Amino acid sequence: MHFSEFWNDIGELTVTGLSQGSIYALFALGYTLVYGLLRLINFAHSEVFMVGSFAAVGTWKALGLDQNSQTPVLPVVLLLLVAALLVAALASGATALLVELVAYRPLRHRNAPPLAFLITAIGASVVLSEFVGILTHRRPQGVPPLVEPRPLVTIAGTQITNLQVGTIALALVAMFGLDVFIHRSRWGRGIRSVSQDPTTAALMGVNRSQVISLVFLLGGLMAGVAAVMYDLKIGGTRYDAGFALGVKAFTAAVLGGIGNLRGALLGGLCLGLAENYGAGVFGTEWHDVVAFALLVVVLMFRPTGLLGESLGRARA
Amino acid sequence: MLLELRDVSARYGRIQALHGVDLHVDEGEVVALIGANGAGKTTIMRAVSGLLPVSTGSVIFEGQDITRLRADRRVARGISLSPEGRGIFPGMSVKENLDMGAYTRRDRAGIAADLERMLTLFPRLRERLGQPGGTLSGGEQQMLAVARSLMSRPKVLLLDEPSMGLAPKLIAQIFDIVVEIRRQGTTILLVEQNAHQALWVADRGYVLETGSVVRTGSGEDLLDDSSVKAAYLGVA
Ligand SMILES: Nc1ncnc2c1ncn2[C@@H]1O[C@H](COP(=O)(O)OP(=O)(O)OP(=O)(O)O)[C@@H](O)[C@H]1O
Ligand SMILES: [Mg+2]
Repeated sequence: MHFSEFWNDIGELTVTGLSQGSIYALFALGYTLVYGLLRLINFAHSEVFMVGSFAAVGTWKALGLDQNSQTPVLPVVLLLLVAALLVAALASGATALLVELVAYRPLRHRNAPPLAFLITAIGASVVLSEFVGILTHRRPQGVPPLVEPRPLVTIAGTQITNLQVGTIALALVAMFGLDVFIHRSRWGRGIRSVSQDPTTAALMGVNRSQVISLVFLLGGLMAGVAAVMYDLKIGGTRYDAGFALGVKAFTAAVLGGIGNLRGALLGGLCLGLAENYGAGVFGTEWHDVVAFALLVVVLMFRPTGLLGESLGRARA
Repeated sequence: MLLELRDVSARYGRIQALHGVDLHVDEGEVVALIGANGAGKTTIMRAVSGLLPVSTGSVIFEGQDITRLRADRRVARGISLSPEGRGIFPGMSVKENLDMGAYTRRDRAGIAADLERMLTLFPRLRERLGQPGGTLSGGEQQMLAVARSLMSRPKVLLLDEPSMGLAPKLIAQIFDIVVEIRRQGTTILLVEQNAHQALWVADRGYVLETGSVVRTGSGEDLLDDSSVKAAYLGVA
């Protein structure tokens, strides 16, 4: 145990935890949205994220930058980031739509049992990850040095880097936007209606297939944004990048209450914090142990997660 | 003829629920569908609204065959069902439930006007606009279901047991509203256990027994019919 160091580092651990947690939260939304609508765990969502992380690297490469390039001037960096965010979000969104169309829709039309969906979900995940693995010879792809981490603000003696501020801010903006979309727009009402009662939703004129596609697309867009932030944080990506992080993001979704949008945010942030605090107290090798121990403990006391399951569904 | 069922049969797995039903509704009419529990009334509503595919026969609406049209598309064509059990979205407010009724419409001004019309027709709902649908009383939910199904501006409104589970005073109110909706120009196909009141407000009626139409006629004729009286009106 390293309690004295822990107290010294708590500010830094908190900031690291929150920025890591923001990535989990954005990534977790895809799991939670799809689960809330279809009671389906879309295992291929980890690859939706992975495709986004490659799309960002590909965008920068196409614009002439690789990991050996010089850091461009700030306006150029911002443009490069915006471009990568757009391309990655669209690439992840398109991948999610494709997975739905190819792997799930045919099963849905045949009224397949839940287990069939589970198997195709795992299958789709493996196919995508292996496909990219083969294309890239399983080698990591480096990210150009766009954002050199340096302290941007200092709060209570803790320095927060530009990248951390950007990650947390972007995640909050994206999630706020999604929340408003789901709770205020006509399309959002359509999504909530299908999740609450698909039969009555059809009687209102809601096209269920369209709503399902929309939900996959939204989850993909969010994963794409998370993937860009991941690229910048890690400095590279690999064909199996989605897998390890996907397990964490899924954990975050369950922790917050799968099916619940705000739960994904809460679950992601809690998980990020728990991991980093755990590493601070017990040592870095305990990082993941603490994360999953937290999940087990929370589920023992709150089986439906911190906020319970709901896509606008009435709480029981 | 606005709506027509031609020789419609339907099944739930191996159970055949409708056996060659012929039925039609003309524009401006109120048509009542009566019959004992399990006679197939709800099944007819499901076949018309597209929730249940028919196994044989056809559903014709405004002269077009809509037998294979998906339920959500039929709403846009002008068919709206207030389902048995009401189907209120529990996690949505009363206002959002009403907005769901207008999901297929894009004319904001028209929707706002219709919302106002519904709140005038059902003042209770105005007091409860922000309340989650799941917390309304049964009667309030029923009013919401009827109001919501009118928000799509249907050409034909299908009401499946709108008086179910309501106190007598509320039942009378629901039937008053049926009369009022009809006066405002909406065609209605009405399923009711309250055969007496249903036939009273209806222009015509159909009597259903184990999935077949056994009698049809004007509301008055059916009210006078001795076998209908014995079976459904509690008069020997
Ligand atoms: N989902 C279902 N699965 C199997 N059988 C069903 C299903 N729904 C209805 N049935 C059967 O179909 C027949 C007709 O049912 P339906 O619901 O149309 O009756 P109803 O006239 O509406 O009765 P009620 O007055 O009780 O509402 C009944 O025998 C019923 O048991
Ligand atoms: Mg019924």
